[in-house]
Amino acid sequence: MADEFPFEISPMFEGERIRKDNMHVELAGPKSIGFELVRAADMNDVEDGKFTLIGPDLADMAEGSRYPIAMIYKIAGELVETDLESIVERRNHEFQNYIQGLMHLNQRDDVWLRVSKEAVKKGLTSFEQVAKAIMMLFKNELPFIEKVETVYITDQAEIEKEIENARAVYKARDDRTKGLHDEDVDTFYGCTLCQSFAPTNVCVITPDRISLCGAINWFDGRAAAKVDPEGPQFAIEKGELLDAASGEYSGVNEHAKRLSSGEYDRLKLHSFFEYPHTSCGCFEVVGFYVPEVDGIGWVDRDFAGTAPNGLQFSTMAGQTGGGKQVVGFLGIGVNYFRSPKFISADGGWERVVWMPSMLKQKVLDSIPAELKDKIATDEDVKDVEALKNFLKEKDHPVVKRWVVEEEEAPAEEEEAAGQAPQAQYQQPMQYIPQQMPAGFMPAMPMMGGSGTGGVKIVLKNAKVTVDKIIIKKIE
Amino acid sequence: MTKISTGKFSLEDLENVQITINNIVGAIETKAEEEGIETGPTPKPGVSGLRDWDYKLLSRYQPVYTPVCDQCCYCTYGKCDLGGNKEGACGIDLATHQSREFLLRVITGAAAHSAHGRHLLHHLIGVHGRDHPIDMGPSNLFAPNTQLVTGIMPKTLGDLEEVVAYVEEQLMQLLSTIHAGQEGSALDFESKALHGGMLDHVGMEVSDIAQVSCLGMPKSDPDVSLAEIGMGCIDSTKPVLLVIGHNVAGVTYIMDYMEEHSLNDKIELAGLCCTAIDMTRYKTEDRSQPRTKVIGSMAKELKMIRSAAPDVIVVDEQCVRPDVLDEAKKLFIPVITTNEKIMYGLPNRSNDTADQIIDDLSSGKEPGALILNFDLLGEVAPRLAMKMAPIRDAKGIKSLPSEEELKKLTSACVQCGACELVCPNNLPIMNAMVAAAEGDITKFEKLHDHCIACGRCDPVCPKGIPILNVIEKAAQKVIREEKGKMRAGRGQISDPEIREEGVNLVLGTTPGIVAMVGCSNYPEGTKDLYTVANEMLQRNYIVVMSGCSAMDLGMYKDEEGQTLYEKYPAKFLAGNLINVGSCVSNSHITGTAIKVAAIFAQRNITGNFEEIADYIMNRIGAVGVAWGAYSQKAAAIGTGCNRLGIPVIVGPHGSKYRRALIGKPYNEEDWKVYDARNGEEMPIPSSPEFLLTTAETIEELMPMIAKNCIRPSDNNMGRMIKLTHYIELSQKYLGHLPEDWYKFVRIETDLPLAKREELLKILEKEHGWEIDWKKKKIISGPTMKLDVSAQPTNVKRLCKESVC
Repeated sequence: MADEFPFEISPMFEGERIRKDNMHVELAGPKSIGFELVRAADMNDVEDGKFTLIGPDLADMAEGSRYPIAMIYKIAGELVETDLESIVERRNHEFQNYIQGLMHLNQRDDVWLRVSKEAVKKGLTSFEQVAKAIMMLFKNELPFIEKVETVYITDQAEIEKEIENARAVYKARDDRTKGLHDEDVDTFYGCTLCQSFAPTNVCVITPDRISLCGAINWFDGRAAAKVDPEGPQFAIEKGELLDAASGEYSGVNEHAKRLSSGEYDRLKLHSFFEYPHTSCGCFEVVGFYVPEVDGIGWVDRDFAGTAPNGLQFSTMAGQTGGGKQVVGFLGIGVNYFRSPKFISADGGWERVVWMPSMLKQKVLDSIPAELKDKIATDEDVKDVEALKNFLKEKDHPVVKRWVVEEEEAPAEEEEAAGQAPQAQYQQPMQYIPQQMPAGFMPAMPMMGGSGTGGVKIVLKNAKVTVDKIIIKKIE
Repeated sequence: MTKISTGKFSLEDLENVQITINNIVGAIETKAEEEGIETGPTPKPGVSGLRDWDYKLLSRYQPVYTPVCDQCCYCTYGKCDLGGNKEGACGIDLATHQSREFLLRVITGAAAHSAHGRHLLHHLIGVHGRDHPIDMGPSNLFAPNTQLVTGIMPKTLGDLEEVVAYVEEQLMQLLSTIHAGQEGSALDFESKALHGGMLDHVGMEVSDIAQVSCLGMPKSDPDVSLAEIGMGCIDSTKPVLLVIGHNVAGVTYIMDYMEEHSLNDKIELAGLCCTAIDMTRYKTEDRSQPRTKVIGSMAKELKMIRSAAPDVIVVDEQCVRPDVLDEAKKLFIPVITTNEKIMYGLPNRSNDTADQIIDDLSSGKEPGALILNFDLLGEVAPRLAMKMAPIRDAKGIKSLPSEEELKKLTSACVQCGACELVCPNNLPIMNAMVAAAEGDITKFEKLHDHCIACGRCDPVCPKGIPILNVIEKAAQKVIREEKGKMRAGRGQISDPEIREEGVNLVLGTTPGIVAMVGCSNYPEGTKDLYTVANEMLQRNYIVVMSGCSAMDLGMYKDEEGQTLYEKYPAKFLAGNLINVGSCVSNSHITGTAIKVAAIFAQRNITGNFEEIADYIMNRIGAVGVAWGAYSQKAAAIGTGCNRLGIPVIVGPHGSKYRRALIGKPYNEEDWKVYDARNGEEMPIPSSPEFLLTTAETIEELMPMIAKNCIRPSDNNMGRMIKLTHYIELSQKYLGHLPEDWYKFVRIETDLPLAKREELLKILEKEHGWEIDWKKKKIISGPTMKLDVSAQPTNVKRLCKESVC
């Protein structure tokens, strides 16, 4: 069946680069125009497998020439909906790259394609061949697409007519994505893909919380769950809202319990301290509590230095992960900084005290204007003392918390401890206050029995040589 | 007393009582406990400590023996013929003896690495002190093998001594079992061999940790510079100082002396074997250009010496030809030995002055010297090279025949075939001789790349033709063009890199990790390495190189004149090409697998070998390929991978290791594990299909790699990609669909995307599976179902009690 195409289709060609000398024709790109667009349509409006070309075909294009291109796919099916358009559209990039001799860069109205000389020599002479292959792959990967029809345009005037239309669709989509929040939907998605490596991790993906790995958003989850409702990505009825600030939902709790085989029964989506979301291993950023200032610092994978608490990313990352709820550290994807519910349970950005300057730059747009100068970076402070002074000087909102604490002076330890009432976390909580960096565990208990007993031995002028001491646990 | 430590104590309330404590058993657990780390069940396992795990491996992957010889000549009762199920005089049978032979290979290799580590450590402690901190780059888990096996988390050089001591003690225990009248079970010898392999990775890790921490070597740096490699990059108009071996300790003194005396531009310092790799790592952590050149692997040793280009040869240890001194003498090249492992009968000049030694060697009074004093070595070697170059020039020393002589020599060949018979690769020497006699040297040029320069052909020629010299002379043009690039060894894969790559591993973007390691005894030359690495890199596998193969890969260029090192980036990411470093850096490859378990599953790795090996075997799609493995060290490295559940494929010569560990895919009972969630049995695919096996050709090798990256816990995206490459590679290189592909299909989404419909048709027609064609879903047929939440394990104790 694969033989019906004059080219190979394989993920191995994804990285294929077609250089100028090797190029038969260039389509769209920075020196031309073009776009790609997927639209959901009614079953009756789509003629399955149909391909229409407006403008010249590949065979008519001279070697070394450049043309604009627009690629429009109309999809239909019982489960097809507008929200899935962007998911399907992104596949166009991936699948066109599967085709040997075809290079596809960027997306939407930034697309840039090249067809290699070799591919043309081997028989790739019509866009119909490409479109048929893409339609086949769409349907294979996303069987909820029951019908698909394609229109490619290589006529400049025609594209100019259509492109504004496409841009309007992109904008509407972006507005929808931006405006879509946890409270606007009834369904979240769970993802267990990474259980192949992190056996107990469960990601809960909501409009305000992208997966930890950053690869799967709510729309992806929705599409995957439609393909296979029992697959590794599945719908979670969010159930009753138990706590708005921290994002606790009864449906999520039930799922957490089931998927962790009972290990965790509560999971707050936007919480740092209490029942936080579990972490797998590939999180991009790890957050850490700085007890001295009662704030939270964030350090990313690319930052090789040490955070004000004296620890490196890898050391702190080593404390979390593995699908465990770890109080005091939280792994997240960079995109979560952009969520309007970013650790909303714990004060959101107002609780953030430190991040590496590179990371801060990356997410600067998401930091509330009044806090932009108040969050310290590695360029400002090197240790906790300096951090404290920095925050005081800039009047960071966490400083207000200190005042409260000082008033309730003796309760300082309880302040932190009070944040984690659940029983199974008592042990890790012990190391949250004060000396978190150094000793992660309580000190070794004193050996029992020494110095007690009924016999007193007095040694004089003795030399005792112990060749070996065997220490054994008392069973 | 709350804290016990070794040392001498005086207690105040006792009169004149002194207590000496020499040793504390259980100290590792205590220390770990103090640091808040849980210790697994097997810190510092003894010979029987992981025997249960070994037996689990060996029951699925049963040893298959391929005796090189079926006699035993270990004691004076013999020699004994063990063929035809006969027992020897001591009672040993052939299987047991073969497994004993294999064990001997493994512990020999492990001893070579570990003794190298011990020497380096001893030396570096002498220079930097016991308290010198260990620094491996931005990682939390910087000694994964050490921590996994011994439970020790070393922080300083001094901490490593205890680790080496453990390895030494265990190796001694293992060596003792080679003696007559010891072990009588082949399987227990196999378990011991696995133990030896595991120790090897600890020994290697200690070596590399010590040198990376002290010698300014790159620390988990993906952007290390490229070094020049190949015989063609040597400028022999300058004095040439050639270094051969694996232990860079002494060589660093030569490099420092040259730097201090501004000799870097005046002397051509070049290396062979892993010392060469480590020379390019020395003081290059700032990404500076390596100051030395790499010639290549052991296969270039004799060729390089016979080229007569070296003015001085310095050797240290391992994979150095025992005939270096004899060969060098013929060409008036003085040889300096620097390590107790290789002394060549030379006088010990460690206490003499540099001038005396230089005089004696340059005058030819002595053919060489043993210098164990590195300061002295650092001065003597470069000065001697400067002095020897004009002397040797004046003498007009050359060894290769002239054009005219070449013609004469090749015409003398009578095509008796004696040379081809002894050639390890049966190279077509006679044909090349005939062609060369007629003026066509292209056959010799091709032969040069396949020739491992062992020199076995020379002495058997009845006409006295110096065959190796003929090959080398005829290939001069090719050799001059042998100029490649090799990425200097980067050391470990850092924890943050592994986290970054996690998404790819999970989503199947990275179909697997291929470690191309080992030596240069290739059946078809270095081009094989290039072909395999390039194919796998294009398919987004992570390709990890080390040691000799890391060098050989840098010798081959594509049509655009680029090596793969120049073409592919060197992060731990899909489609990247990594060189971890020298032979001892192989421990970082297993270390990476251990780190994955620690990072993604938060498994405790401290003294917890069995659980981690079990995790790796069920989840991490990594395959070792030792295409040109020749040495005992390669046997040890591979066996260490095996105990961790990582399968290894060796080239055709690998059968000479005498045994393979091969599973039986047709035996359904062998392919069952427990689901740790409830302890129930679950079927798994027969992959990895073996722990150690040979492949005859790269065409056979490539689909084998793809297939053996499949793991029971693959999610559908991972399985789809792995299956895609397995099927495509089989079709591309063998011309057909693999016969067992359908066994790896659990659900329609496991099927390669582009071929889904075609394959569903085959499943329906040829295998009787039921397909819902409207939904393109499989209704019945697969023997396994997809459940990413299942937790496959071979170890019953890791299962939760059934929760029904």
